[in-house]
Amino acid sequence: MKRFKKHRLLMRTSMLATVVAAVGFAGPLPARAADEVTHDRLLNADKEPGNWLLHHKNFSATRFSSLKDINKDNVKNLKVAWTMQLGGVEGGGIWTHGGLEGTPIVENGFMYVTDGWGSVYKIDAHGGQGTLLWKMDPKTDHDWAGAVACCGVDNRGVALWGNLVISHTLDGRLIATNKDNGQVAWQRPVANPDKGEVITGAPLIVKNMAITGVAGAEYGIRGWVAATDLATQKEVWRTFTIPGKGEPGNDTWKDDKNAAASGGGSTWVTGSYDPATDTIIWGVGNPGPDWDNQYRPGDNLYTDSSLALDASTGKIKWHYQHTPNDPYDYDSVAENVLVDVPGPSGTTLKLALEADRNGFAYAIDRTTGKFVWGLPFVKKVTWTKGLDPESGKPIEYDPSKQVQRYNASVTPHRDNKVADICPGNMGGKNWPPTAYNPDLKLWYIPVIESCNRITVEESVPDKLKAREFWTGGGPSQPFKITGSVTAIDVTTGKVAGKLETPYPNLGGILATPDLVFSGQPSGEVMALDAKTLEKRWEFNTGGGVNAPPMTFSVDGKQYIAILVGLGGAWDKWFIDATPELKRIQPGSMLYVFAL
Amino acid sequence: MGPWPDPPALLKQEKPMTKGILSSVAVLIAASVVAAALSAPRAAFGQSATTSDPTDAGKAVFKRANCFGCHKWHGNGGGGYGGDALSLRKTELTREQIAETVGCGRPGTGMPFFTRGAYDTVKCYDMNRQDAGSQMPLEANTFLRPNDIEAVADYVIVHIKGKGEPNYVDCVSFFGDTSRVCDIYKTQVEPTANSTPSAGKAQ
Repeated sequence: MKRFKKHRLLMRTSMLATVVAAVGFAGPLPARAADEVTHDRLLNADKEPGNWLLHHKNFSATRFSSLKDINKDNVKNLKVAWTMQLGGVEGGGIWTHGGLEGTPIVENGFMYVTDGWGSVYKIDAHGGQGTLLWKMDPKTDHDWAGAVACCGVDNRGVALWGNLVISHTLDGRLIATNKDNGQVAWQRPVANPDKGEVITGAPLIVKNMAITGVAGAEYGIRGWVAATDLATQKEVWRTFTIPGKGEPGNDTWKDDKNAAASGGGSTWVTGSYDPATDTIIWGVGNPGPDWDNQYRPGDNLYTDSSLALDASTGKIKWHYQHTPNDPYDYDSVAENVLVDVPGPSGTTLKLALEADRNGFAYAIDRTTGKFVWGLPFVKKVTWTKGLDPESGKPIEYDPSKQVQRYNASVTPHRDNKVADICPGNMGGKNWPPTAYNPDLKLWYIPVIESCNRITVEESVPDKLKAREFWTGGGPSQPFKITGSVTAIDVTTGKVAGKLETPYPNLGGILATPDLVFSGQPSGEVMALDAKTLEKRWEFNTGGGVNAPPMTFSVDGKQYIAILVGLGGAWDKWFIDATPELKRIQPGSMLYVFAL
Repeated sequence: MGPWPDPPALLKQEKPMTKGILSSVAVLIAASVVAAALSAPRAAFGQSATTSDPTDAGKAVFKRANCFGCHKWHGNGGGGYGGDALSLRKTELTREQIAETVGCGRPGTGMPFFTRGAYDTVKCYDMNRQDAGSQMPLEANTFLRPNDIEAVADYVIVHIKGKGEPNYVDCVSFFGDTSRVCDIYKTQVEPTANSTPSAGKAQ
């Protein structure tokens, strides 16, 4: 009887997850209370310095770890501690291969990572080595999802709640996996690839909810942010980023083609949360069609905006739009970093920092949504002469005009069908996350120093078809593109330093008390001096770094971890701007470093 | 060895008299002959009557060489992130011209060349690399051999060129039925579930 039961359990397990033979089948261990992830633990995530419990490390999205055993004096001795080969390299849809863009999550010495197709791996990182405990393969529908993933086969990681690992799949599911044994506890479709919707971002857990964002503005979707109750698995709220008829902001779509319903506004980067005001702050992407802004006269709210949502209801509290009636594909999907800095006459400025695809870094008062300061963080901006110091809008922005031209001579539009823009449409700064050092008050931006060429194609409603590109043109790459790590002093709103790199920064940043870690798509992982950005250490992984570094400690020892595997949009659509990167092979590898 | 005629032999008989567009007719005839020939013995073995299509090899090339990465599975191509891939459903190119375009790419566009040595040891449109200059097409990720190129050209001629809007049957014959990728063709769907864009409305 006992044997039979065990066999049945084993059968069930193997249907849902691959149980790694080396571990054997010991049966699920009962979860210890200390391993239950609660809202309280997430609120205090930084009080568990050895752990990395949230996608952006904490609700403020600073990606700052106080661990300092690895520091600027000894980082030169950093070496590979262990590696692990992951899967998910296979292609699907329009993609020849998957890539790795995820941030590992670590709790009490156990690491959770995903590959591009959404398989979740639990790795035991105790004892100076990595042992795969289980892999949950969600069997993502490659053709269904891969055909409408504009920008790669990507999954940026998991979240933890209770005794569950919460993850997304490209084909639109939210999945809860038992942390102990890798069995799927439940799953729920949140996005629908039939409409061109896919999910690449990691979930954000707020209270008892998983917050999900969606991708698909290149396929004529209507964007949203959705909250699922993790206890009941029911939807709590879904806030559309394109207002419907009668809703505030609907009148910023002046056309009569019902473009608001397919106007884009994706939300594919994980946002942040301010518990003091119970506010979720989430970035919204470009309007669609991307490059034919004459199709959609008006400011096109809430595209290219930061949105503040009431976490309990999803209601919009405020918005700040960066590029009204965007003709450049300048998403504002980026994470908002929530920081408090001293203001004038003893006040405290409660800021939301965002580094936009349009090349400008913004500080917004996160209580009111009002502009505080903004500055270009890239070397070259041509689309505007600058920001209005009061409103932060591009100075050429004319609210009385329905179609914005900004710096008209370089702006792509129907009468200027081929135009070169700086930054190019990848940015500026794309999804790779920034990091903020609260001691130094420095904010580090992973920069794509770029220009590219936009060719406009006039859109007509007939061209809007389910699961077909809805872009009103496309980019090409006649110019070489490089990158930098750019530091901004948040107390002054000025650039404090820039380390230029031969390639764009496609991975993102980790900050520790006196170091900054980042990578290059040509393979290098590097550590920089937090104050001077001087390079202190570098290691070539032999693959393309397309994911952010993170740090954790286990058994009292600090480690740096990073996923390596070039995928995403770059090596399909933008590779001509970096021809040397054509030699980078697809890969799927976890690197873990230690002293 | 099966008790059915050897399909390549059948094709071979047709080949000497085929040139250009005629060959597609020949392929179609061959396809139906082969299908008819295959169905009887298979049924006799009690197997499901799957049809074998002589352009399956070409379909495999269409997938392997990632033609559908830009032209899409249905061949309509269309604008988008990667530029505007030609519609193979609306193309007026002949089988030979399609084969030439696959082998040599299209100068000045995103269509890469798939023949090893094109513009170097193999002249394309009577040009070498120097003649093509800045219009030199990109090199494809995969090189195809001449018979692969012929096969994919046959596939385009038989299954894509001149066809109307893609439908569920077309889609399933490309992907099989294990993916939900074809579900949107099952019924007449609106452009997006959230919208009713009006084709006839004022511009």
